[in-house]
Amino acid sequence: MDLAAQLPTLLGLAWLVPLASFIAILFFGPRMGPHGRNAAWVATAAIVTSLVLSLAAFVAWLAVHPVKAVHHGGHGEAHAADHADAGHGDSHHDDHGEHAEHAAPPAYSGDWYTLYEGGRLKLSIGWYIDSLTVLMFVVVTFIATCIHVYASGYMHDELHDVTDHEVHLSSGGHLHRPGRFPRFFQALSLFCFSMLGILIAGNLAMVFVFWELVGICSWFLIGFYYERKSASTAANKAFIVNRVGDFGMLIGLMALWGALGTLQFADATTTAADGTTVTTPGLFSLVRPAEAGHALRVPDGMVTFAAADEVATIAAEKAADPGAAAAEIAGRVPGWREQGFGGWLLFIAGLGIFCGCVGKSAQFPLFVWLPDAMEGPTPVSALVHSATMVAAGVYLVGRFFPVLTPDALLVIAYTGGITLFIAATIALVANDIKRVLAYSTVSQLGYMMLALGVGGWVAGLFHLVTHAFFKSLLFLCSGSVIHACHTNDMRKMGGLAKVMPYTAGAMLVGCLAIIGAGVPFVIGLSGYYSKDSILAQALSFAQANPRHAILYYAVAGGAFLTAFYMFRLWFMTFAGSPRDHHVADHAHESPAVMVSPLIVLSVLSVVAGWTLPGGFGVANLIEQSRPAGTVETATGGFVFGQALTLPAEYLSHEGAIHVTATMTAFGTALAGVLVAAAMYLWRIVSPDVIATLFRPVYSFLAGRWYFDELYHALFVLPALGVARFASWIDKGIIDNLINGLAWAARQLAGIDAWIDRTLVDGLVNATAGATWNAGLGLKKLQTGRLRQYVMFIAVGTVALFVLASMLFRSSFAG
Amino acid sequence: MTAADAISQPALWPLTAILFIPAVVAAFLSLPIIPKAREEAIRWITLATTAVVFVLSLWMAWPQLFGAVGPAQFTIGEAGMQGIVKQPWIPAFNIEYLLGVDGISMPLVLLTTFLSMLAAAASWPITKHVKAYHVLFLLLETGMLGVFVSLDFFLFYVFWEVMLLPMYFLIGIWGGPRREYAAIKFFLYTLFGSVLMLLAILMLYFTSDLRMLSPEQLQTAHVIAPGLDAAAAADAVTAIKTAADPIHTFNLLALAQLGQLPNSPFAAVNLWGMSLEAWAFLLLLIGFVIKVPVVPVHTWLPDAHVEAPTPISMILAGVLLKLGGYGILRICYPICPGAGLSLAWLVCGLGVVSMVYGAFAALAQKDFKRMVAYSSVSHMGYVMLGLGVWSAVAGNEFRWDAWAQGVNGAMFQMLAHGISSAGMFFMVGVLYDRVHHRNLEEFGGIFNRMPVYSGLAVAVFFAGLGLPGLCGFIGEVLVTLSSWNYSRVLAVISAFTVILTAAYILWAIQRVYLGAEYKGPHGDHLTPMTGRELAIATPLVFLAILFGVAPQTLFSYVTPSVNKQVETLADWTRRVRPDAPGAQEPLVPAAAAVAPPAAATAQR
Repeated sequence: MDLAAQLPTLLGLAWLVPLASFIAILFFGPRMGPHGRNAAWVATAAIVTSLVLSLAAFVAWLAVHPVKAVHHGGHGEAHAADHADAGHGDSHHDDHGEHAEHAAPPAYSGDWYTLYEGGRLKLSIGWYIDSLTVLMFVVVTFIATCIHVYASGYMHDELHDVTDHEVHLSSGGHLHRPGRFPRFFQALSLFCFSMLGILIAGNLAMVFVFWELVGICSWFLIGFYYERKSASTAANKAFIVNRVGDFGMLIGLMALWGALGTLQFADATTTAADGTTVTTPGLFSLVRPAEAGHALRVPDGMVTFAAADEVATIAAEKAADPGAAAAEIAGRVPGWREQGFGGWLLFIAGLGIFCGCVGKSAQFPLFVWLPDAMEGPTPVSALVHSATMVAAGVYLVGRFFPVLTPDALLVIAYTGGITLFIAATIALVANDIKRVLAYSTVSQLGYMMLALGVGGWVAGLFHLVTHAFFKSLLFLCSGSVIHACHTNDMRKMGGLAKVMPYTAGAMLVGCLAIIGAGVPFVIGLSGYYSKDSILAQALSFAQANPRHAILYYAVAGGAFLTAFYMFRLWFMTFAGSPRDHHVADHAHESPAVMVSPLIVLSVLSVVAGWTLPGGFGVANLIEQSRPAGTVETATGGFVFGQALTLPAEYLSHEGAIHVTATMTAFGTALAGVLVAAAMYLWRIVSPDVIATLFRPVYSFLAGRWYFDELYHALFVLPALGVARFASWIDKGIIDNLINGLAWAARQLAGIDAWIDRTLVDGLVNATAGATWNAGLGLKKLQTGRLRQYVMFIAVGTVALFVLASMLFRSSFAG
Repeated sequence: MTAADAISQPALWPLTAILFIPAVVAAFLSLPIIPKAREEAIRWITLATTAVVFVLSLWMAWPQLFGAVGPAQFTIGEAGMQGIVKQPWIPAFNIEYLLGVDGISMPLVLLTTFLSMLAAAASWPITKHVKAYHVLFLLLETGMLGVFVSLDFFLFYVFWEVMLLPMYFLIGIWGGPRREYAAIKFFLYTLFGSVLMLLAILMLYFTSDLRMLSPEQLQTAHVIAPGLDAAAAADAVTAIKTAADPIHTFNLLALAQLGQLPNSPFAAVNLWGMSLEAWAFLLLLIGFVIKVPVVPVHTWLPDAHVEAPTPISMILAGVLLKLGGYGILRICYPICPGAGLSLAWLVCGLGVVSMVYGAFAALAQKDFKRMVAYSSVSHMGYVMLGLGVWSAVAGNEFRWDAWAQGVNGAMFQMLAHGISSAGMFFMVGVLYDRVHHRNLEEFGGIFNRMPVYSGLAVAVFFAGLGLPGLCGFIGEVLVTLSSWNYSRVLAVISAFTVILTAAYILWAIQRVYLGAEYKGPHGDHLTPMTGRELAIATPLVFLAILFGVAPQTLFSYVTPSVNKQVETLADWTRRVRPDAPGAQEPLVPAAAAVAPPAAATAQR
């Protein structure tokens, strides 16, 4: 079986097994052993199966596409060697000078299932698999496996009746409820299915489907303790804020779908009945056609869409001969493209898709949901809100990268820069251990977005992978601490290293990894490599575009802040002497089932960034899938007037840029650690004094920049106001109008009746009696007057409609 | 063809049987020989009747399920009218008993029979005047089915009115405290629409002239009875073509053929500055949008729903609202394409306004059932938008697929909303039957009290939320995506609705199902779902999932017929109105379109 058949089978199964687990636990969960204890095994077995299948796909991939060291300028070679089966056009041995004809990366795509088909439009469920997909499958299933194991220990409280001390009943007591161990694993399985669906998706419609499903899984998991008002509110907030992002994403989808009629990533080849093959271009080759050397250009569909007026003139003139009209329009397209038609559309499409990513990856201005999402159980925070779901946004930007214009990328870079800075500042003063990690996640996601935005395609996705390992590690460690202390408040911790040595050690590894610790130019933890490449690319971008140098300073400053708040966390929690003896006395190391995932993840947090001799490593594996046409430095821009330069990524690996970036990273991280140590370990400077000294700044940061309050005043209250207003219009205006019309009709009917009584009755008194009685009877039913009511409403509304059509459309004529 | 001939033809009876079995049973039930006190028997007879009708319609719609395909059954994937029944009724005015179904009406018939069956099962808690209730209920079913299967405009109108009266009494007698106000409001709104519709029907009838149609058109419109041999058919055609005076018709298919002629008789007549076609379109549209309903003629809906008993709410939301959308699709557009093209902005605009306004109003409601009622206004807005997005104009090179996608999405949305809204109303009813209030502020903690019910209810509400994998998603996404090609502004506003929908549904779920404890009265009555209730809720949830996961089940019926109609109208646009303006607005300020070419192409 060749790779093109193996990969969708293996990864497709890896994707569906968690769904089977979800269905099994949904129906039989409570019957799986005492209190559903075995549901954990079912879910874990499912995710382990997925992991094994993903690893099999990984091995199969490597067998055909071995990872090789990337020599700068030799990107083409690796592809050319293993390109025989991908069916993606020709590839070239080429070096620096002739990179214009860079080949498309190896990828496999196809469709499983059609949701809708009409005319040339088709929405389907399918796959797009390249080295990034395979890698992410392994990463997600691996971390999910660790977290399933960990959670089977962490969630043991749910195996018996639970007293929820955070829920106060009206009777004064606390809530007692049965445990719901199986429900947790049920949602976890559904989440894994949804997340893997995003990874494997062959088109944007499918991404959107699983995007929403991931959102609802997150709703279930954040709201796991749904008796708590705070939890259900946080769950709603997460989903609704994500929907704000999805609103933008829908616009992006519409812009692509309306103009191009496809949402497929890759080209599709279908064989017609007569044996001829038809290739339907996908988004990637529409935007970066091979005949244009994979350079970004506005696709024909968008050009004609934007030039609709011109098209209309031609099509109307030649309505009798559609063929001639189509030919003329096709001939005019290059000219229209020169005039700039459609550039905005491509920009909006990219920005729209990015909006979805802003929601899911908790970027400014939609990051407010992620810290609240910490209401969920800690394993959820580790899996959903650090390693996977929030990674989906970065993944999608990476996947969609070829379609993004330089202007869109600039917006992405600035969004990332603002996010990383704001989140890092809030993390400086947070006292809830999980919230520090939550803001650190937001900040690190900002790093990734910024990296992608400045053209660091590999750098951003590389950091995504390494971050997934060390952030899930950090969250699981924090879970272990919370499990031991029964509090999230770091001010009550301290000195825990003595009682929880494994947790303390693992968390130290995580902290060192996230700050990018290492011996410069020699070796480091995983974060060292990925963060360095981001810094280097940002520097390279800043040098090429001096107007945007601030992005580089944001990255460098962020590195300092990261080091500070991470070590503040570690020192406050594990170092020194206990602050609260009640907490310290009860603290204990967590059971083996929880500690073992910590050790496994610690090891990976160290080594995930390493490149083995021969070139095998995460970065080089990602490099295999680099979108065609993004190897070399590119300049362009449609919207912001000035041209932007996206420096080639390999340039940041060499020479002065690399040295400067590495030294900056090292210096800022070291400074951050030292300042944290000075304040929280050696107590040279008291944090309280500094807080008092900079009281307004401290309050501002502790109040989280007052984003929640701002959004509440700006969006929530006005929305509720509009809602009440709409409701009032119904009752106060429309219904009053209707009731008034009915009243008027009844008055007229009264006059009518009076005429009947005095005039008509006088004439035909003899027959009137019978009629009168019947009329009285009918009056009770109110049907006797209906005709009048109706005439009044009729005349009024017809007049309204006619008036409306006259006013708004002067060209109105049947 | 005589009546005796008709009976001998098996192809003629299934539609008639589906249509009239409920009415016949209703007549039987109303006989004095059925004692009023035998309430249980009456309920079972009604349930059995609706079940038989459902199975019969399923037998017709999905022959493969029952083995071999008979001539009387529906061929899935065929676009044209099937199961034609044609009998003269009032020959003096060319009024016929003309029935038929295609991919648009067949699934709606199935939805009607299915929901009627579930609503009959949901009618057990009705204890007042049981006999009268069930008689009216069965009459209502016949009325609804008649609207979907009639191909004669007069017959259509008769069934439209037949449906109205039982509904009036069902709300007015078996409703809540303000039932009389709600019933008369419903009645007046709808009757007002009917009057306008009647006006339009007469306008079209007296302007129509069958002589203008070609022999082929007369054949496809079933003006010439199907099954005639060639000679007899030719005679019939000749008789029409050589008539001295205009031959008027109520035949909907023939009216559509006339309306799409380049020299459409309806476009030729001018009345007070507008063509007769435009008047007819507007009058019919008002009649139909009241039923949909769209803002601002929607205020009957919340009142009717709040007061109506649960099963009637299910029927009202599940089927009655679809009559409006069906009428626009089947009657307004094919018969008055010119006005449809000119007024597409009105249809789309009403749809988008309803979507947003309904969602905002739903957000403000304190009454659970009112909230669900406003969600119907919002969801039916998608139907209007999808029907109206006439993007097949010159600026789009007369490509029809985006519009077809909108109409397919609208059809899907109608069917999906039939499932999800009936489900939502039923779920509210289950709670109301127990605690006798619907105040959203006085619930909470239901999940822990009634876990199975809450699980099913949350699934149904998620279907309303438009979650992928459930039925609400497909229609909304198809409609929203299709609207971009018609108008970017409307598309963006319609996409905005997804935020509001999430807000009002999740907020309601939070207030009712989540939380630690129940805050309202009669907490001790919160007993688990009964078997009967489960038997109603489970099929609805099952279908919500089925249609969400496998939308082809519905599209295999809908798409061929819809695509054919849209393609025909797109072709009509190219032939008759090639210079009609679309509704597209410039995407960006004109200045941006002349950006320096260097910047546009320099990316490399």
